[in-house]
Amino acid sequence: METQKTPMLELIDIYKSFDDVEVLKGISAKIAKGELLTFVGPSGCGKTTLLRIVGGFAALDSGQVILDGEDIGKLPPNMRDTKMVFQSYALFPHMTVAKNIGFGLKLQKWPKKKIEERVGELLSLVHMDELGDRTIDRISGGQQQRVALARALAIEPKVLLLDEPLSNLDANLRVVMREEIRNIQKRIGITTIFVTHDQYEAMSISDRLLVLHNGIIQQIGTPVDIYEQPANEFIAGFVGYVNFLEGKVTAIADETRTVTVFTAYGNLELNHSQFDKSEKGDEVLLVIRPETIPLSRSDGLTQQNTFNGIIESFMYAGNFVKYTIKIEDKEMIVDQYNPKDTVKFKRGDQVKITVPRSAHVLPKNTAIEHV
Amino acid sequence: MAEAVIGPVSGNSLWYQVRAFLNAKLVHIFAGGLFTLLAIFLIYPIAAILIKSFWGDEGFTFDFYAEFFSYNFYYWSLINTLILGTSVMLMLVIVGFCFAYLTTRGPLWLRKPLKIIALLPLAAPPYIFAISLITLLGRNGFINNFFDLNLNIYSWAGVITAQCLAFLPLSFMMIENVLNSFNPSLEETASDMGASEVRIVRSITIPLAAPGLLKAALLVFVMTIAEFGNPAILGGRIPFLAPDTYLMITGEGDFNMASVLSVVLITPCILIFFLHNYVLKGKGYATITGKGMAAEPKPMALAIKISFLIITVPVATMVLLSFGVILIGSFVKIVGVDNTFVVDHVMNTQSNIAIWNSIKVSLGAGGVGAIVGTLLAYVIMRGKFRGRQIMEMTALSGFALPGTVIGVGYIIAFNRPPFLLTGTIWIIILNCVFRFLAVGVEAGISKLHQISIEIEEASADLGADFITIFFKVVLPIMFSAFVAGFIYTFMTTMMSLSSVIFLTTPGFDLASVYIYLTAQLGELGLASATTIKMIAIVAISFGLLQFVAKKAGLDVRTKQGA
Repeated sequence: METQKTPMLELIDIYKSFDDVEVLKGISAKIAKGELLTFVGPSGCGKTTLLRIVGGFAALDSGQVILDGEDIGKLPPNMRDTKMVFQSYALFPHMTVAKNIGFGLKLQKWPKKKIEERVGELLSLVHMDELGDRTIDRISGGQQQRVALARALAIEPKVLLLDEPLSNLDANLRVVMREEIRNIQKRIGITTIFVTHDQYEAMSISDRLLVLHNGIIQQIGTPVDIYEQPANEFIAGFVGYVNFLEGKVTAIADETRTVTVFTAYGNLELNHSQFDKSEKGDEVLLVIRPETIPLSRSDGLTQQNTFNGIIESFMYAGNFVKYTIKIEDKEMIVDQYNPKDTVKFKRGDQVKITVPRSAHVLPKNTAIEHV
Repeated sequence: MAEAVIGPVSGNSLWYQVRAFLNAKLVHIFAGGLFTLLAIFLIYPIAAILIKSFWGDEGFTFDFYAEFFSYNFYYWSLINTLILGTSVMLMLVIVGFCFAYLTTRGPLWLRKPLKIIALLPLAAPPYIFAISLITLLGRNGFINNFFDLNLNIYSWAGVITAQCLAFLPLSFMMIENVLNSFNPSLEETASDMGASEVRIVRSITIPLAAPGLLKAALLVFVMTIAEFGNPAILGGRIPFLAPDTYLMITGEGDFNMASVLSVVLITPCILIFFLHNYVLKGKGYATITGKGMAAEPKPMALAIKISFLIITVPVATMVLLSFGVILIGSFVKIVGVDNTFVVDHVMNTQSNIAIWNSIKVSLGAGGVGAIVGTLLAYVIMRGKFRGRQIMEMTALSGFALPGTVIGVGYIIAFNRPPFLLTGTIWIIILNCVFRFLAVGVEAGISKLHQISIEIEEASADLGADFITIFFKVVLPIMFSAFVAGFIYTFMTTMMSLSSVIFLTTPGFDLASVYIYLTAQLGELGLASATTIKMIAIVAISFGLLQFVAKKAGLDVRTKQGA
């Protein structure tokens, strides 16, 4: 997605404090034209503040916001070519659906006829063709969401900003609206920033994610990067469950692309990926996803990367079983998918697990600042 | 987090420059203007009283205060006022609690009628009860004649009864609110554990309601000591502060002593206002959030039912009887003495002129009050400048000040340049605007609480500058609050007596003043008929207000004042 072209939006070294609390500590990022980038992170990480800085609702302390080559960092919101969909939707209660959507066009002094046409287009874009004359209190939450989206898109902004747009909807509607927003975004090809605290929402809607924590970008990358090549412990633990295993690099064999790590269970041989910058003697942290660990009945044999353990507990979730396995004095979580067609283990069963060669190697104590 | 920096629209023509200036400064311009108005019409009159109470012909002096405390008549006036306030307060907490308990936990069929009766006095000015009590129990009173009694209504008993009936709604509404705010399951749990209803009331309900009861009690106290009409009409020779202040001006022309009396009367009111708004604010046990739930009706214990009914039934009867005799009194020559049907009272020209004058003044006050109130609410909620709290406090304080005090303040402050207003209709209008500002401001604030700041941000995001947002988005959304402020100010101005009585000039009678004067002269038919017409107008406005408030989901706390 990221191209070599000049980005549509560029954030350069943005700092922001509220009173004495520094909420953004040097944020830099580029967003390509047509891309959907999600700001994601736990609450209080600064993602909403960053979005509000892009929209012009919060002033930045230092740094730049470059929109299509122009620094808009100091402009008021009404003079920026970014449009926001607010968390509360912020629809005007005294206007109809059509009046809401046409509000920005009217301010731009569009002729009445053209406003009607454009509003009509947008109503059909968000599948609300017949509802233009309704007042805001007579449409559902999902429909309000669509109106808010249509209103923001009406003036064809260069960048669309979505501030936790799905948080007021119930679980099923969230999924529907998430897909719909993504479809509309792709169809009209608008550059979009989406803010959410929900990792799964972020993973499923984005071209790329910008993960914020403590006012610092922890990692920017595609959903695949974030999940499979987490830059640090925080990212690794942020999406999904993960087994961490401490160790020390004892050998690196370039010809077989193998790194050997000494752990509590002995030596493990893992793929030496191009992203792994660790060297012999380094303390590292292994990131082992529960669904990547093969599980079988113990046969008494020991092979490379294989350990024997005892099932301590299990939780049946339908599409998978989550086993907690005791290996010596440590616990390992293993998810076994498709339980219908695999052996089901009981508490106390002797089992054999294998740490996959694909386990991710992280430098230890990565209080990572910038990536 | 609101940090919207809504800036100018680009351009260089003069219009753009003016617009850019207004965009940046409009809130400050409003704030400055409103501060000036509050300073002139609320702070200055009160300051004028304070100065007048210390400033004699020879400059600064404590003489007037020394005189107040040395002369029997004056300090008895203070002591009587405090006794009156305390006794009405104690009685109304009990009566209000009984009413509220029955309307929230009593038998279903009883709830609605009792509630309506408890709220009925809101539709009438407080002094309606002075008139009805005279009709029933005066020297020529219907009951006195019928049973051949010789009860004297121009007495402590008369004043206390009239005040209790007049402020029943205030006490009832506040206590009902408190009782509605507990989760019924608290009482049900106690019952489940085996407590009797008497015990539940004693050990759960009353302790939980205590902070709320205290607030209600304090408000009743303030309203009672500030009320002018009832003690003035029924007080006879018993001195009370509010009517004495009036007599000091109309009878003796002694502005210094009137000021001293005002300062003495205002002190407890201001103390309680602060206590209420800043110390007790938020105190209390709201055990459920949001809308109150009605307890599942269950049979009441006989002991509670009987004792509560013994208290509420006579009070409810008196309320109904009072409205009844006022209605009958408007259409018969003299109730109980000469029951011939007449329309003379209702058709009386002077009475009609007074009503018409009141309508004009009230419409003026409603309009100005709604505008000032709406703007104040906006500036207080959305402005970013120091002193917003002081502004809010000042705006809301008008309601806490006794009418007589503001009345005295206005004649002292506005009888000479630069603000010569005495004798004009404007002094009455402005007086009512600033006394009753609180509700318009609160309605506006309540509306602004409902609309997320994001709405204003969204407008800016869509390209609107501040002026457009203010006129196209904020004001239309606040319109319902404006209407509520208008109707409320209209209603209270219609009934207001205590302050306007100082400000009307001979030949320009307001309905309330006309009722007071005719009641003083014993012209009960005219007083009743004028009151009935006033009630009709107020009742219609009240209905409208409820309609608007409900439609717009406004939190219009009905306030009672005189």
